[in-house]
Amino acid sequence: MKALIIDDEPPARRELRRLLTDFAWVEVVGEAGNVGQAEDLVASLGPELLFLDIQMPGGTGFDLLARLEDLPQVIFTTAYDEHAVRAFEVDALDYLLKPIDPARLAEALGRVKSARAARTPQADKVLEQIFVRDGSRCWFVPLREVRLLSSEGNYIRLSWGKVNPLLGRALAALEQRLDPNRFFRANRRQIINLEFIENVELGVNGRLHAQLRDGPEVEISRRQARLFKTKMSI
Amino acid sequence: MNDAEQPIAQQKSQLVYWILQLAGWGVITLGRFIGGVTVLDLAWPRLLLELLLVNTVGLVLSHWLRDYVRRNRWRALPIRKLAWRILVASFVCGTPIGIVSQFTYLSALMEPESFLREYAPALQFQLALPVAVAFEIANCAFVFIAWLTIYFTAIALREHRSAQLKQSELAGALQLAELRLLKSQLNPHFLFNALNTVRSLIADNPARAQNAVTHLANTLRYTLSSRQDELVTVSQELDIVADYLELESMRLEDRLRIEIHVPEDARGVRIPVMLLQTLVENAIKHGIAELPSGGLLRVSAVLQDDMLILQVENPRPAAPTRVAHESVGLRNARDRLRLLIGPSASLDLDLSRPAVATARLRIPLQQ
Repeated sequence: MKALIIDDEPPARRELRRLLTDFAWVEVVGEAGNVGQAEDLVASLGPELLFLDIQMPGGTGFDLLARLEDLPQVIFTTAYDEHAVRAFEVDALDYLLKPIDPARLAEALGRVKSARAARTPQADKVLEQIFVRDGSRCWFVPLREVRLLSSEGNYIRLSWGKVNPLLGRALAALEQRLDPNRFFRANRRQIINLEFIENVELGVNGRLHAQLRDGPEVEISRRQARLFKTKMSI
Repeated sequence: MNDAEQPIAQQKSQLVYWILQLAGWGVITLGRFIGGVTVLDLAWPRLLLELLLVNTVGLVLSHWLRDYVRRNRWRALPIRKLAWRILVASFVCGTPIGIVSQFTYLSALMEPESFLREYAPALQFQLALPVAVAFEIANCAFVFIAWLTIYFTAIALREHRSAQLKQSELAGALQLAELRLLKSQLNPHFLFNALNTVRSLIADNPARAQNAVTHLANTLRYTLSSRQDELVTVSQELDIVADYLELESMRLEDRLRIEIHVPEDARGVRIPVMLLQTLVENAIKHGIAELPSGGLLRVSAVLQDDMLILQVENPRPAAPTRVAHESVGLRNARDRLRLLIGPSASLDLDLSRPAVATARLRIPLQQ
C-alpha cells in the first residue's frame, strides 16, 4: 500500500518512516513538508494512505483534504491540536498523537487494512467518501448516507443526517464519480440517493415527485422521468 | 411572599424552625405538667389548661421576638452587645408571663417554695410575695434566654458552614487559575513536538538527542521555577532563549535561522522573567513555523535615551492560517510589564511592514 507522509518537521517525518519499517505492506512513496507540496505528490504518486499533520505552514491538513478530488485513507498525526481534533464530529477519524506510540500505530494500520479489504473491486471507480469542511467543522462523509445533493452555484449542498454541509465542488464534476446504481440525477439541480426514496407520487403538474426519508420532496424532471421509471421498475 | 415562590432551602429552614419551636415549647409544657401532677399533686385539668395557655403565649412571643431580632439585624452584633440585648429582651418577654403566672397553678411550679415544702417540710419556708414574683419572672425569662441562645447559635453555625463552603470554592477557583497559567506557560504544543524530536533523534543522532534532553530540561526548569513577579537580567533570559532556540532548530532544521545582537552593556538590564522568551516563542509560532521555507529570527538590543530597546523580528505569512488574535502570552507579558516596571515601559507589536512582524520592548534604565 502506497503511503505519503505529510509533516512540516523533518525529524517527525524520519521518526514515522522508521516506525513504518515494521509494516512491510506499507510502502512510503514520498514525504511532503507543506500542503502545496503534498497536493502535487498526491497527484503524481497516487498514494492510498496519507499520514497527515494538522498544523502546517501555508495551510492545515484539513485544507489539503478539502482540495483533493480522490480521497485516500487518512491517519492524522498531531502533537497537541486539541482544537483541530475537536473540530471533527466523526469517529471515522483516526489520529495519532506525537510522539507516536507504536502500538497505537499498529491499531490504526489494522483498521486501514480491514477497511481496504472490505472494498469492492468497482470501488476504485466510484467515490465512497468525501471530506467536507463547512466553517470550523469537518466531516468524512460516507456518500451512501447522503440523501440528496443540490447544486448551489459552484457548490454542492449535501443533505446528510442532521447537517447540510456545503461542498466546494461543482455537481457535474462530482456526478461522474458517484455510484450510478445508487445515485440518480432527478433534475438539473439535484441528485438523489435512490435508497432514501420513501414513495413516489404523481404531482398536479404531471411530474413525478420522490419523497425522501427524513428529507424533502424532489421533483423528477420530464427528461429524466422515463429513465427513473425503468430504474425503479414502476 | 407566596410559599411557592420561596427557594427550597428557605422553605426547608422555615420548616425546621417550626418543628423546633413546637418541640421546644411542647417539651416545656409536658415537663411542667408531669412535674405538677406527680410531685405537687395539682389538679391536672386546670394545670393543663393553664400550661397550654401560658406556653402558647410564650410561643407567640418568641416568634414575634424572632421577627424583631431579624428586623433589627441582631446577628451582625458583636457578642457582648448581643448578650445584654438577649438578657433585656428575655426579661421584657418573661415579666408579663411571670406576673400572670402568680395568679395560676404555675406559680407553684416556678418558685422554690412549694418544692422545698414538699422535700424539706422541716424548713417551714415562706417567701415574701415580691420575691416569689421575682422567681417567677426569672424562671420565664430564663426560657427566653435559652430560646435566643439556641437561635443565635444555630444561625452562627449555619453562617460558618456556608462561609467554609465559599472558602473552599474560592480556593478551587484560584487553583484552577494557577493551573491554567502554568499550562499556558508550558505550551503543550512546543512540549510534545520537542518530545517527538527527541524520540526521532535517539535513533538518528544519539549525541544530539542527549543535548536536546538537556535543553528541554533547562527550558522546563526555568519555566516552572520562575515566579510571575520576578525580574531577571537580559543575559539570564538570553540563556534560556538559547536553550529554547536549540530545540526549535532541531525541530524546524534549516527553516529556522537565528541572529542575536545584544551588546554587552544591555545584558545587565533587568526585565520581567519569561518576557523575551514569550516574544521569541510567538515569533516562531505565528511567524517562522507558518512559512513553508521558514525565515530569519532576529533578536537585537540597543540602549538609547536611558531606555533599553529589545526587538524580536520575524517574517510572517501574508494571511495567517491561525486566527490573528493577540496571544494570551503577549497580553500576560504586557500586564506584567506594567505592574512590575510601570507605565514608562512598553511592549508593542509592529505589523506596519508587510510580511514582517516586530515586537518591540522598551524598558527604562532607572527603575
